Amino acid sequence: MKNVELDDIRKMLLKQNYIIEDTIAMAVFLALKLEKPLLVEGPAGVGKTEIAKVIAKALNSELIRLQCYEGLDSTHALYEWNYQRQLLYLKMQESQSKDIKAKEKDVFSDKFLLKRPILKAITNSKQSVLLIDEVDRADEEFESFLLEVLSDWQVSIPEIGTITANKKPYVILTGNRTRELSEALRRRCLYLWIDYPDFEKELAIVNARVPGIDSKLGKQICLFMQELRHLKLEKTPGISETIDWARALATLHLSHLDKQIVESTLGVVLKDWQDIRRTTDALSELLEKTGVVSRIG
Amino acid sequence: MQQAPLTYQTALSANMVLFCRFLRKKGFNLGPSEEADALRAITMIPLGEERLFRQSLRAVLAKNKYQFNVFIDCYTEFWDQIAKAVDSKLKQDKPVKKATDAVQNREAQFNALKDWLNLVPSTEEKSVSTYSDIEVLAKKDFQDLSNDEMQLMMSLLKRLARKLAHQKSRLKKKSKKHKVVDLKKTIRANMRRGGEMQNLIFSEKKEKKMKLVLLCDVSKSMDLYSRFFVHLIYAFQNAYDKIETFVFSTALHRVSEILNNHEFERAFDIISERVPHWSGGTTIGSCLSDFIETYSYGHLDGKTIVYILSDGWDTGEPDIMRSAMKSIYKKSRKVIWLNPLAGSPNFSPEAVGMKTALPYIDVLASAHNMDSLKRVIHETRKRRNLINRQIYF
Repeated sequence: MKNVELDDIRKMLLKQNYIIEDTIAMAVFLALKLEKPLLVEGPAGVGKTEIAKVIAKALNSELIRLQCYEGLDSTHALYEWNYQRQLLYLKMQESQSKDIKAKEKDVFSDKFLLKRPILKAITNSKQSVLLIDEVDRADEEFESFLLEVLSDWQVSIPEIGTITANKKPYVILTGNRTRELSEALRRRCLYLWIDYPDFEKELAIVNARVPGIDSKLGKQICLFMQELRHLKLEKTPGISETIDWARALATLHLSHLDKQIVESTLGVVLKDWQDIRRTTDALSELLEKTGVVSRIG
Repeated sequence: MQQAPLTYQTALSANMVLFCRFLRKKGFNLGPSEEADALRAITMIPLGEERLFRQSLRAVLAKNKYQFNVFIDCYTEFWDQIAKAVDSKLKQDKPVKKATDAVQNREAQFNALKDWLNLVPSTEEKSVSTYSDIEVLAKKDFQDLSNDEMQLMMSLLKRLARKLAHQKSRLKKKSKKHKVVDLKKTIRANMRRGGEMQNLIFSEKKEKKMKLVLLCDVSKSMDLYSRFFVHLIYAFQNAYDKIETFVFSTALHRVSEILNNHEFERAFDIISERVPHWSGGTTIGSCLSDFIETYSYGHLDGKTIVYILSDGWDTGEPDIMRSAMKSIYKKSRKVIWLNPLAGSPNFSPEAVGMKTALPYIDVLASAHNMDSLKRVIHETRKRRNLINRQIYF
């Protein structure tokens, strides 16, 4: 990553069909150059996880994903011994006369070690991208464990010894802000906030991800989504919903929106029945603002 | 010393340090390592482009959404001052003293609140004056609080909630990870294998946790009380398995999701928008029946404690109220009714709604100030006491 310049990052990401704006490019660039983890926060569905996938593809490296949940502890994140296999192996080795030390070495060898994401990232021979998804779902203990790993990049397994990473992976953390993260973790990372896109950006994304969509349809979809986000919904739709909807409508070979079509495909965009009800009630207004003429009859 | 018009390279690092100090006064939590990162970052970008310079600093120095958003303003403010060659260092010195004083004061208030709630016995010396301030404040009816006092209360509660959340969750985690091998069951399970342990059976301590259901009246007069009450309950939320919150005025709405997914002030704003306020009167009875019909299946069981916060002025049929309260009482572990009117010395449950509901209430409390709220919280631990039904004011 020594000779990469800011523009190269932008080009790399664009090649992967990820529409980027300056803030994102700068954050990714600095994270790669300074070798610091990147904390990406924002509402659901705006492309936080996407960034990690796209970076991994662009750098031609492996994406290792750790999905956090409440109750996640270091066992699930780091490693676990395959107890069952070890027991079977011991049983099989019973008849053979090896001395204890050799047996011990065998049993605690690599083939009985279940590597979980973080250990996988550490022991990877190439540089990988470690995505720690929804880190705010995990608890405080896990956060302190994470801090330790992120600073030392070494793991000590009592039976084997200390394993140090030869190639430090790039780390991307994502969060939804359901819980406030600890200060210490935040200070370790570079920060990026991704918000819902504006009209131009959303249109660019739709055109990049759904090639061949009718341009009028594309514009109407984006206008509609912009208006929709102004309503106070339980689950405000993000860019992924826009892309799904655009794909659905493109498959139907439509060239413009109308009230019936919107009503029947609303389930692609909204995932909560109260939201759907509220939107259908306000549908005519929304469509007017979008400039869609409804079919008569 | 005044800086001459800057030659970019030589004075840059000095200005960077000053910039970081400036941000620190503004509340950014930056240490020397972050300053070092910032200096490294600007070596990576092409010189001369101010936009890139600004963005790179933002990526490194802003650590959360709020800082991210105000960064540009702080940046412009600082570099404008540099451009005018004003010694920004001198300007910052005066506000510092006030800031540290205010911070110390807040700390003292916070510790006093903690002690008063009897949650964490602190061995630190607490300043007596702050403690008695809190005591006085705790007896004031919420409606009588001035704006500043209210802000203070809310922010103290918020901090309390965060602290408690961290404490309780540690307890939770320990028992989960304490995977103890249950030897008895393991041996039994492996009997057919000649006593060799092929399957390990683990046991976890079963945690008995309580569930709460909060039914809050949010009509005009009750709104403030509801807010404080919910705020305080959520401060303890990690002690409970689940808290379901409902608000009602003329209809019942489930708001647990909103409270879980948003920060408190924002959550309450969203709630006020959704629930139409009607100062005319509240149909408590029909809202409670609504609750029974729609939600009792999933939410009411022998482990649930039901809190109802309302003044009891029901404009509906008393029979509806009676049958609803009866069902709630039967199905739950305890019913606690909070009536802020009960805080006034002339109170007696004359309102028709209250009278009808009274036989089905375990504890009637007032919750009109922090003192009574605190008692209510402690009350939650005990079981239903059929002999001594308690009424707190």
